[in-house]
Amino acid sequence: MPNNQFENNVLAKVKDLKVHFNSKRGVVHAVDGVDFEILNGETLGLVGETGCGKSVTGRSFLRLLPIPPGIIKGGAVNFKANLVCTRCSGRGCSECGKSGHKTEKGEQVDLLKISDTRMREIRGDRIAMIFQDPGKALNPTLTVGAQMAEVFLQHRSLEILDMAGLGQIKNKAILRFAKQDVKLFDKILLLLPKARKQKLKVQEAVKIMVSKALSETQVPNPLKLLDRFPHELSGGMRQRVMIAQALACNPDLLIADEPTTALDVTVEARILELIRELQLKRKTSVLYISHDLSLVRRICDRVAVMYAGRIVEIGKAEEIFANPSHPYTRGLMAAVPSNGIPRGSLSAIKGTVPELIDPPDSCRFSGRCPYEVNGCRVNDPKLRKITESHSVACFINDASLSWCAPSFEEERV
Amino acid sequence: MQLRDYIIRRLMVLPILILGVSIVVFTLTRVGGSPIGIYLSHEMTPEEVLKIEERFGLDKPVLVQYIQWLKGIVSGDFGWSGVASAPVAEVFPIKLAATLELATAAGLVALFLGITLGTFAGARRNRFPDHLTRIVAVSGASLPQFWFGILLLIIFWAQLGIAPIGRSDATIFASISHPTGLYTIDAILAGSIRALWDAIWHLILPALTLGYGATAIIARMMRSALVEELQQDYVDAARAKGLAEKLVIKRHARRNALVPTITVIGLTFGFLLQGTITIEIIYRWPGIGRWMADSVLRGDQATLMTYVLFTSVLFLLVNLIVDVIYANLDRRVTLGK
Repeated sequence: MPNNQFENNVLAKVKDLKVHFNSKRGVVHAVDGVDFEILNGETLGLVGETGCGKSVTGRSFLRLLPIPPGIIKGGAVNFKANLVCTRCSGRGCSECGKSGHKTEKGEQVDLLKISDTRMREIRGDRIAMIFQDPGKALNPTLTVGAQMAEVFLQHRSLEILDMAGLGQIKNKAILRFAKQDVKLFDKILLLLPKARKQKLKVQEAVKIMVSKALSETQVPNPLKLLDRFPHELSGGMRQRVMIAQALACNPDLLIADEPTTALDVTVEARILELIRELQLKRKTSVLYISHDLSLVRRICDRVAVMYAGRIVEIGKAEEIFANPSHPYTRGLMAAVPSNGIPRGSLSAIKGTVPELIDPPDSCRFSGRCPYEVNGCRVNDPKLRKITESHSVACFINDASLSWCAPSFEEERV
Repeated sequence: MQLRDYIIRRLMVLPILILGVSIVVFTLTRVGGSPIGIYLSHEMTPEEVLKIEERFGLDKPVLVQYIQWLKGIVSGDFGWSGVASAPVAEVFPIKLAATLELATAAGLVALFLGITLGTFAGARRNRFPDHLTRIVAVSGASLPQFWFGILLLIIFWAQLGIAPIGRSDATIFASISHPTGLYTIDAILAGSIRALWDAIWHLILPALTLGYGATAIIARMMRSALVEELQQDYVDAARAKGLAEKLVIKRHARRNALVPTITVIGLTFGFLLQGTITIEIIYRWPGIGRWMADSVLRGDQATLMTYVLFTSVLFLLVNLIVDVIYANLDRRVTLGK
């Protein structure tokens, strides 16, 4: 598939992704034909209102969709992981610039089509995720240490065995223990004195790896944290644990699903800084899902604006904020408070988000759009480039439709 | 040691609770009339009746009788059982061992089957295995035990002739000594595989019959708890780490689903003890249940009061164990506050 292969600076490419949900009242087109790419090392912001499909888009990278009722109706999420650095096997060395991976790419895969086993190898290792509420995303019945250990055992078991000085071990029970694939019979084998000693060594090695990962997120006293339960930590602390867990294996792509929404504003800035810093160090790409435009402006290289299951505008952050070209983007920006706007004059977008059950073949924003013309109610705009790096799905100022295109100069109702 | 302190504190409250229970038990049984009936026969003259009344202290005021009863309990004298024609304290431990063995076996069956079936169904929500377990569970909750037990007997004892009845084979019973009265334990202590097999063989049907209802309750609870837990974020977070689905369910979702289920498991224990009455009659199991049924019918109040008192102690202890397990599973629970 040479035409399907993508350039070397692209990490992932979503093509015409459609995720629908069956509901009692009909099929909800939650994500309905989304196209975008994520470049190496960049932060792409995915912005939109609640229910616009941004989380579903993010989760489809890890195939963490509730299926059923969800259906992947079509499209592809192509992903090309970087090869793991052979010298340090992902730990980060001078040769790979501490990132743990080479600049060369591995094989390109479609994340929606690969087997479950293959998907599990990618989850947590090449693509990781930070969730909105760390209080809910950490298991309340397991210690922080136990939960973090799982990532390492899942993806770094050989390295752990090396660290424990058991690189050449033949004992299958220990090997399976290090891969957390313990069979019923192994539990008995692991009780034998020799195996128990080896098991403790493995656990000790995991502990070291976990506390190292934790210390990178500037957690004071990481060793002390291992035996604590999530409810004993503050929100910011929990999110640091989540971040440490997500970045444990130096992933190529980090999906951050509103990671600061559940946190105090005072903690937010520090968490954002932390993600940014670790991202730069490891050359990780970040898909930052948020509804907060001002936040996205601060941290993202590129921005994609989603509305009703579609991307309506995508481009470099500075371009989008300097020249918002979709009426919806304009509406969003007008709704953000800033220093320049006098008190009391924040604007809201009229109307509400349309129902996504069997949407009509028209612009999804028609009916709410202050600039719409008759053509908007019968035609569905596709993303078109207005500059090399800036696309918009709107007929606005479209030169090819000069006689009937809507324009920002004229407001209609 | 916060946990140890908590257990000690709970155990210290126990005698006070038992005292309260004893008042309730005594009052309630006395509402049923004087306990003298069981000690009388038709041929007795009024003088003889008076003599018996005097012998058991039944001519004294009720309050004095209560205190005498309490005094007896403290010194290990639980009264005279008219049904067993022996002191309650003598017969009770033997019968209790039989019932405890049955109830424990049924409890283990229910615990194992209930949690396994519930997890199995919850992880496959609304698919065929879930519907199948639902049928099993609903029938378990709605089949009357006495009927289900007889049904099993008809099939496995009368028709197929593979299941035994009673508690043990007479010759095998005589071949080993019985220090604990729990035949399975006795067989293990004696090192006799034949006796162990015999004890288990006799246990299977009654334990299944008795455990079936509790299995249904635990399985349903486990299923709904698991379904709820599987929708939590931490489950997706565990999947996002690359864990195998088996591990996601076992280590993450099931652990949390057990928290509400444990409470139900504690409650089913009382349900099991009550169930022994019918099961013991059907399977000719020489336990407390049968004795109790006779005692109720013939008004053997000394036995009844001992039984209720003992059951409440057991129930309180089980609840304590449940609370401790509960706090161990869910660390957000702080004991003793």
